Amino acid sequence: MIHKSAAASTERVFLPVRKHHDHAQTRHTPAGPACGHRCRIPLLHEGGPMVRHVMRKAAGWLAMIVVATNVTYVLAAWFLDPRSNYRGLRPVRTEQQIDHALTPYNLDPRVPLAVRWWHWFSDVVLHFDWGKSPVGASVNSEIGFRVLVSGQLVTAATLLSVVAGVALSVFTASRQYGWWDRITQLVSVFLFNVPAAVAALAVVFAGIWLNQHLGWRFLYVAGEASPTVSGLWPTVADRFQHLILPTLSLTVLGYVGYHLTQRSLLLDSINSDFVRTARATGLTRAQAIRRHALRASLIPTATSVAFSIPAIFTGAVITETVFGWNGMGQYFVQTIAKNDVHGAVAVAAFGAAMTAIGAVLADVAVVLLDPRVRVS
Amino acid sequence: MTLTTAGMHPPAESAAPAPVLSVRDLSISFPSEAGPVQAVRQVSFDVLPGQTLGIVGESGSGKSATAMGIMGLLPETAHVSGRVLLGGRDLVGLNDRQLSAVRGKGIGMVFQDPLSALTPIFSVGRQLSDALRVHQSLTKQAAWNRAVELLDLVGIPDPHRSARSFPHEFSGGMRQRVVIALAMANSPSVIVADEPTTALDVTVQAQILGVLRTAQAETGAGMVLITHDLGVVAGYADEVAVMYAGRIVEQAGAKELFGRPTMPYTIGLLGAVPRPQARADRPLVPITGEPPSLVKLPAGCSFADRCPAAVDACRTQEPALAAVPGHGQVACLRVGDIADGHLAADSLFPAVADAEEHGGAGSGGEVVLRVAGLAKTFPVTKGALLKRRVGTLHAVGDVSFELQAGQTLGLVGESGSGKTTTLLEIMRLRQPEGGRIEIVGTDVAAQGSPERARELRRAVQIVMQDPSGSLDPRLSVFQLLAEPLQAVGADRETIQARVSELLHLVQLDASVTDRFPSALSGGQRQRVGIARALATEPRIVVLDEPVSALDVSVQASIVNLLTKLQRELGLAYLIVAHDLAVMRHVSDRIAVMYLGHIIETGDTEDLFTNPRHPYTEALLSAIPVPDPQLERSREHIVLEGEQPSASRLPSGCVFVDRCPLYRLLDDGLRQRCRTERPLLGSAGPGSGHRHACHAR
Repeated sequence: MIHKSAAASTERVFLPVRKHHDHAQTRHTPAGPACGHRCRIPLLHEGGPMVRHVMRKAAGWLAMIVVATNVTYVLAAWFLDPRSNYRGLRPVRTEQQIDHALTPYNLDPRVPLAVRWWHWFSDVVLHFDWGKSPVGASVNSEIGFRVLVSGQLVTAATLLSVVAGVALSVFTASRQYGWWDRITQLVSVFLFNVPAAVAALAVVFAGIWLNQHLGWRFLYVAGEASPTVSGLWPTVADRFQHLILPTLSLTVLGYVGYHLTQRSLLLDSINSDFVRTARATGLTRAQAIRRHALRASLIPTATSVAFSIPAIFTGAVITETVFGWNGMGQYFVQTIAKNDVHGAVAVAAFGAAMTAIGAVLADVAVVLLDPRVRVS
Repeated sequence: MTLTTAGMHPPAESAAPAPVLSVRDLSISFPSEAGPVQAVRQVSFDVLPGQTLGIVGESGSGKSATAMGIMGLLPETAHVSGRVLLGGRDLVGLNDRQLSAVRGKGIGMVFQDPLSALTPIFSVGRQLSDALRVHQSLTKQAAWNRAVELLDLVGIPDPHRSARSFPHEFSGGMRQRVVIALAMANSPSVIVADEPTTALDVTVQAQILGVLRTAQAETGAGMVLITHDLGVVAGYADEVAVMYAGRIVEQAGAKELFGRPTMPYTIGLLGAVPRPQARADRPLVPITGEPPSLVKLPAGCSFADRCPAAVDACRTQEPALAAVPGHGQVACLRVGDIADGHLAADSLFPAVADAEEHGGAGSGGEVVLRVAGLAKTFPVTKGALLKRRVGTLHAVGDVSFELQAGQTLGLVGESGSGKTTTLLEIMRLRQPEGGRIEIVGTDVAAQGSPERARELRRAVQIVMQDPSGSLDPRLSVFQLLAEPLQAVGADRETIQARVSELLHLVQLDASVTDRFPSALSGGQRQRVGIARALATEPRIVVLDEPVSALDVSVQASIVNLLTKLQRELGLAYLIVAHDLAVMRHVSDRIAVMYLGHIIETGDTEDLFTNPRHPYTEALLSAIPVPDPQLERSREHIVLEGEQPSASRLPSGCVFVDRCPLYRLLDDGLRQRCRTERPLLGSAGPGSGHRHACHAR
């Protein structure tokens, strides 16, 4: 029996994992509690199923990384021409000399692609050696420190973006159409339309202005570290000082999406019946929103955060360029510009790995947030 | 604050206990673009401990807003005035923090839709123990134990394990039990129940009302029971308040109110309700017109425009609630005439004279729909990416019936019994998974040419449950009605002519053609839905809950319209509805379904007066009757449990797990019920009344 308002309110309620929910409803509801252990949800402390679930997912993603990376290798070897790195050099070299120079780096175009691929692939699998650039620099050593450099920037910026965006969404969704809601939305929409380079430059100017007014060079606007600092604590402090402005500029651009999407997700669940029930049991509106509405509405955001990790890593190009950071984003552009086949493939592999990690983290987050999702 | 009851509502007896909840002059308005919506106006009532005040009214009458106003759960934009005294303390004007100390502790609330009222991501035990810990300093373990006790109290089987279950693992009835447990967790002195059984099946409704009684007995709370169902109120409430356009228009003891309704609206409302025990030949009497808009209310009585007893004075001044000796209070200028019998209540809403003898016309007509052995299953799958089939849901088992032109067949049963699946299988016009469907003599499996297929499509049309959902909001009424005609290839002039003809048929004014569905009332929308179905001149109209989304006073007019159309056009109706009282009015024959099987079928009157299958018996007994004396004196058969999942059908009789008769049988017969599925058998030679039961 379906009554009109019953149907209407079901429509209104936001169910983030509707697929699972519907599934459960149609299949299990009639059985009620009698469905017994078949319906039991493996909780976190039950451990086993969760770990198995993650392992199985990870294995699938690993296979995907392998395929994606190899496809990229073939495409890169096909389209990128490492010889162009030598053509501009003086004295002018013959094509043969150039090919010869490329031979030790497994980039000689005279060698069949299949053979080059096999060398590259076996080196990656056996030695985790991602090859050399056309001028002989090791890709591994380039990537190694760049991952760390970008990592600290991106991790800090992502965390701040999520925290700022979600906090702001809770604040404004609770005050829908109030002054604060309108003002913060206006600001967010404005920032959403500011190009990254402009935002980064604005942050640089603000940093310089602040430094001048403080009369102390507290905020650095270039590079990821000072070369002259030594000792543990001075190094940490120095890194931190370098980190502040680029993190800020990435956060200013990154929080907007979380604010706006989380706000609308939260509005859906704030007006849902279960929040009203929670309030009827004696929670204040703010408590009911935090404990009941927010958690249910966080699920899509958790998924989107995880999947945005690779994009942030490689998308920090402009910020890294403005602040003179030698990060992954900068390397990404550089490898393609310099026809660095192995470098470009390594970046692609890195991106795939980040996607996989993000996806697995998203799965874990969804299971943690929503115990209804059956891990099986 | 002193405990004062305002002079206008003195307690009936001086010895009466002090009310636990007193509402005085409560007014609620919401801002809107058109101006403030006056949802509730000067509502006053008292609730005594252990007693139940029923508030009845149609949608928009302000009954839910009243409940939310008591709870302090209105949106912040709402403007509230008046007083809500809980144990002498005024709740109006308290802030959220102060109110939250009262909610759950002083007042518990039961909501309408149990499917969405519980947080999906927390186990029910956690939600219950959280609710306990909000107001009591309990350890987590103690709260959990108490939660399990509460679940046991509201009749959740195996409460220890169920406490760890999540809401989606429960059926609607079970969830509503949990919501009731939440409401009574901290022993409130008042429980507000807002349409607690509206979303539930009738047999489950009977169980839930029982649980509410338990909760009330356990806590000694006074209850405010808000519902549109007059039958529920008749059986449950001690005192009844009828709301119309935001005001209480009549308030009296249940017996007095149902026995001698005095406000014309109440009289009309009671006349419009189909009664399950009444014969179908009494036509329903609708109240003409629609409730007024609450934005700019006219000066006089808000019911004046629909009131047959209205006089000029009614349009200029709004009558106040005035005491009527021995009856309670009534807000009507003509109350004197009605109360002393000068104006006979029966004469206010006379039955429409043109309603001819119902049903008889079509019996013996051509068989337009023949369904034999219809079966439909759905796979039960598991896994997110690779779906594995883990079972089969037998939505429809073995359904056979015939429908003749001019006749109405009603399919009755609880949700999940396969009624809608049966309808959809017929509407699909393809070979069913099992059995055969014949429409106007053509087997749908062998319809042959595309022209024949189009003809079949024209011959069967459907009217949906929710007219606001089934009409495209971006098409005007004209476009909505023209669409099916275009689909069958009618030209422009034919369409023009046919649309105005259709509007006339469903008694809609020609001025609605340019309007969009959102500008129509619920009743008008359903008329458009019916007109749309009639556009292609079908032989068979399938109606899926055609009136369940409508208010009682409007519902009656749609039921009458359907009867009239059938008489004029010789249509065959196949109706699915959960409201058995409505079914008794519209159907010539009834088929009762349970778990995808027809377990009893027969002529409506025969079946209602002489049900043979124990399930039919229980189903009929579960319908609340809008008559307090009858409702409280008759014997109720309350079925235990709920309809099991159709993925694991019992091998014998499908009803065996819940059958009250089964328990009384001897072992031999029990064995038969368990193992052998009973076939539909005639009660007597030549009788159309057949049922499937080994024991009867």
